[in-house]
Amino acid sequence: MHNLWMDVRYALRQLRGSPGFTITAIVTLALGIGATTAIFTLVHAILLRTLPVANPAQLYRIGDNHDCCVEGGFPGGSSDSGDFTIFSYDLYQYLKRSAPEFEQLAAMQAGQWTWSVRRGSAQAKSLRGEFVSGNYFETFGVGPYEGRMLADTDDAPAAAPAAVLSYEAWQGEYGGDAAILGSTLFIQARPFTVVGIAPPGFFGDRVAGSPPDFWFPLNSEPYVRGDSSILHERESHWLYLLGRARPGTNIAALQAKLSVDLRQWIWSDPKMTENNGGSIVYKQHVKIVPGGGGIQNLQQQAGAGLRMLMILSAVVLLIACANIANLQLARATRRRADIALRTALGAGRSRILREILTESVVLATLGGAAGLLVAFAGSHTILALAFPDARYMPISASPSWTILGFALLVSVITGVLFGTAPAWLSLHAQPAEALRGINRSTRDRSSLPQKALVVFQAALSLVLLTGAILMSKSLARLEHQNFGVVTANRYVLHLDEAGAGYSIDRLPALYRQIEDRFSALPGVSSISLAMYSPLEGDNWGECVIQQGHPAPRPTDRCGSTWDRVSPQFLDSIGVPMVRGRNITDQDTATSTPVAIVNETFAKRFFPGKDPVGQHFGIDLPQYSGAWEIVGVFRDFKMNMPREDIHPVYLRPLAQQFLSYKEQAMITTENQSMFMDAMVIDFSAPQENVESLVRHTFAGIDPNLTVTGLLPFDAQVEGNFTEDRLVARLTSLFGILALVLASVGLYGVMSYFVARRTGEIGIRMALGATRPNVVSLVLRSALWQIVFGLLLGVPAALLAGYLMASQLYHVQAYDPVALAGSIVVLNVCAAVAAFIPAHRAASIEPMQALRVE
Amino acid sequence: MAANGKLIEIEDLTKIFYTDEVETHALSGVHLTISRGEYVAMSGPSGCGKSTLLSILGLLDTPTGGRYLLNGNPVENLNFSERSRIRNQEIGFIFQSFNLIGDLTVEENVELPLTYRAGMPSAERKRRVKEALERVNMAHRMRHYPAQLSGGQQQRVAVARALAGSPSILLADEPTGNLDSKNGEAVMHLLADLHREGSTICMVTHDPRFARHAEREVHLFDGKVVSEQEQKKMEAEAQA
Repeated sequence: MHNLWMDVRYALRQLRGSPGFTITAIVTLALGIGATTAIFTLVHAILLRTLPVANPAQLYRIGDNHDCCVEGGFPGGSSDSGDFTIFSYDLYQYLKRSAPEFEQLAAMQAGQWTWSVRRGSAQAKSLRGEFVSGNYFETFGVGPYEGRMLADTDDAPAAAPAAVLSYEAWQGEYGGDAAILGSTLFIQARPFTVVGIAPPGFFGDRVAGSPPDFWFPLNSEPYVRGDSSILHERESHWLYLLGRARPGTNIAALQAKLSVDLRQWIWSDPKMTENNGGSIVYKQHVKIVPGGGGIQNLQQQAGAGLRMLMILSAVVLLIACANIANLQLARATRRRADIALRTALGAGRSRILREILTESVVLATLGGAAGLLVAFAGSHTILALAFPDARYMPISASPSWTILGFALLVSVITGVLFGTAPAWLSLHAQPAEALRGINRSTRDRSSLPQKALVVFQAALSLVLLTGAILMSKSLARLEHQNFGVVTANRYVLHLDEAGAGYSIDRLPALYRQIEDRFSALPGVSSISLAMYSPLEGDNWGECVIQQGHPAPRPTDRCGSTWDRVSPQFLDSIGVPMVRGRNITDQDTATSTPVAIVNETFAKRFFPGKDPVGQHFGIDLPQYSGAWEIVGVFRDFKMNMPREDIHPVYLRPLAQQFLSYKEQAMITTENQSMFMDAMVIDFSAPQENVESLVRHTFAGIDPNLTVTGLLPFDAQVEGNFTEDRLVARLTSLFGILALVLASVGLYGVMSYFVARRTGEIGIRMALGATRPNVVSLVLRSALWQIVFGLLLGVPAALLAGYLMASQLYHVQAYDPVALAGSIVVLNVCAAVAAFIPAHRAASIEPMQALRVE
Repeated sequence: MAANGKLIEIEDLTKIFYTDEVETHALSGVHLTISRGEYVAMSGPSGCGKSTLLSILGLLDTPTGGRYLLNGNPVENLNFSERSRIRNQEIGFIFQSFNLIGDLTVEENVELPLTYRAGMPSAERKRRVKEALERVNMAHRMRHYPAQLSGGQQQRVAVARALAGSPSILLADEPTGNLDSKNGEAVMHLLADLHREGSTICMVTHDPRFARHAEREVHLFDGKVVSEQEQKKMEAEAQA
């Protein structure tokens, strides 16, 4: 122990004696370890961490993908794979009864909606709420911070409406007011009693940028949503299921059993099996997956990107290690005389090895500590980039014990990694060298490993640079693609008419008033209302049936996005008509029911025909003549900016289809009468839009809540948060790798010059000019880069192939990206090598010979 | 070429080294002439300035004052490139520690100064290398690396490297300093042979036995050229 302490003190003295080396090494390590740890913080928080609940290992989810949010019939994708992930309330109860293997099986809303919540006479707030089954909190084993949690008794048709607030909403929205417990909150103008506060740190059943502010029972859904309720619609799937399995449960057997039960449930419902639906029942099944991490939607969406970032940060760390190893090799060579002297004085090899490794580990620990600071700052920045709109950060950026352990482990491994080679080389110092002093014909033993490390760094840097260019190019293509809409000077705001107590019959007057008031504002070119606006993340889909066609089978491509809009909608987003006419004020409740469609719709459903004048409907043949197509508008991206344009049809604000007989269709049609989005098109850039909007709405109806207001371009950009995060971090890692590799090359070439000063003097004595000397040094550097490229180009191509799923309209083998990264690497290498080359050429020959 | 046959003429040459606040006068008003074909030995005790003088003669260093004519041309104010060219074409160096480059073979070491001559064809370089190595009896070791040779052999290769460029003068700085007596004598015989064949040689040595191989001996003491008698007297005074 005493010897170890001596070694540590000696190491610290050695490091203090070489401040340049020590600072360079610590900064390099801090960047490498910091980057890796910051990304690991994110990976750990999103991919690895379990929910803060009791015995998370006992939790299992029925379903394994992120289908959302309300799906009819066979859930999306299930027609192909048969994988059931999202369930109706009826199916939930059926499976719950069928599976006593679960101590508790809870249901939770797949989507999370924003609700208008008012307390007393205060202005209504826009909060996120999630419908959950009564046993939700019991399933998770989460107790209250205050009051009580929801129970099965709350989740009954006749139960008094109850809600549980999240701790963060209680603190953030209600200032931690203790009186909120037992008080009444009006959710969509319906009274609910706040029965409890969830504990701090519990953000619900999944990691999300905007976790729920409150939870309320499934059975309160009809109470809140009235005619739009889907609780009792047998074929409307909108719930995720997560349960606590009894100890010893055979999950594979349970999965097989529940798949059989699922198929029995489907067979029991004629609506599911009609129109050839029965032919695909055989492949319907459920998958049961570990649920300790909760619903893994974010994990599935961001997992590939995060794993890629983890690999890239590890590559940066490897480059940093190579750099330190290079610096250590140079130091080891300089210390050969010192080590030879120690050996001559009787020091054993193990003792010297221990000293060198101790120094490396001490250095790595210092670097690791500095890296933690970088990681702490870095992870805060990364989380802010990852969740730009989060009101409460569901993930903590503070280093946990796991993160600290990870950083310590990385530091020690790094220390041993970059300490081993120099230690090995140092052990070859012969005691006689201590007496000989100088070498008459030196061949530098460490130069080959050093050059190999630079080759390795150059290769890895090329991979990261190419990846960075690919991701940046992909992001640029994604962001600057032709969305088909004009966003300049446009704002999108969201309303909650239902929350303000409006019923369908009162809506036309409200919309007229809104249009009149806003159109009269100075600088407003046009305003429009819609159920939802383009690229805001919402999507309503239906199965289209052309007039006279039979009912589509489950496997037919009949899906189309649709929206209900006011006449100015297309004008306000800058989309032109290409044929026929637009929706007008003359399309009223009493006029012919009409629709306008996009070009893709026309091609998909009326190929080779003039769509204008054709009729279509949805879901059932008896409604296939519901609407006459009166116009075709140019294609634009309504949703999914990464995907090709879907068929879209638009229906007039004023035309409600009243002929439906099926309750689900009536519900949907009713719900579609509420215009949640409004687009305002200003003729010039506008300031104080928010106050203008709120002031105008206050004049229309003070109870009407504006739940969101964004410039249209910001709304579009919001689709690329994850892409931007990955592209920025990849670019950051690329630049970091380039800097580290350049520093590495600079170090090696400086060392080359220092070691060969005597040789350079000899060459000068023999007539070498300064350009000859510069060329000598640059040639040496160039060879290392050339070998680096030979390794790096195939590796970069392979990396591109592995990244292909992350790219948008960019080839994995993009020659421009590859050529660009080669050029950048070469330029940086040339600069890094030129500095020592110039220094070498500036040496006076006599001075150089004296060194020899 | 100087019309009077003088290869080197230096007049009132001084060299002062400045370190911090200390001025060291390495050379103080040295006058020296070396004629073509002459074999001159410069001797003197350690620190007398003989290696500094040789460095200035070889254009590796510049004088602080005085005049230096090489082949009748003033060289004290030439720029780096011109000095490099003259070193390459007019001067051949032989160092005490051989100064061969460990990563290059014997052949490559000897060829090295020729590679700095623009326009010399490769075949011509090879011919000269072969001739130079044959003159020092090292042609059979062309493919070897310096580390594979004895000290004497390394110095012979260094001599071949100095000869390969057909310089006007060979400057040897203690060429036997790192050799045993047998190898030292062999190198001295080699230099004597080269002189007989017409080479001009200027050798620095502190060993009187080797100085006697030269046809003229220049004595340096405290940075000045002195006669042999003066040198002995000064040494005696210094010892007393």
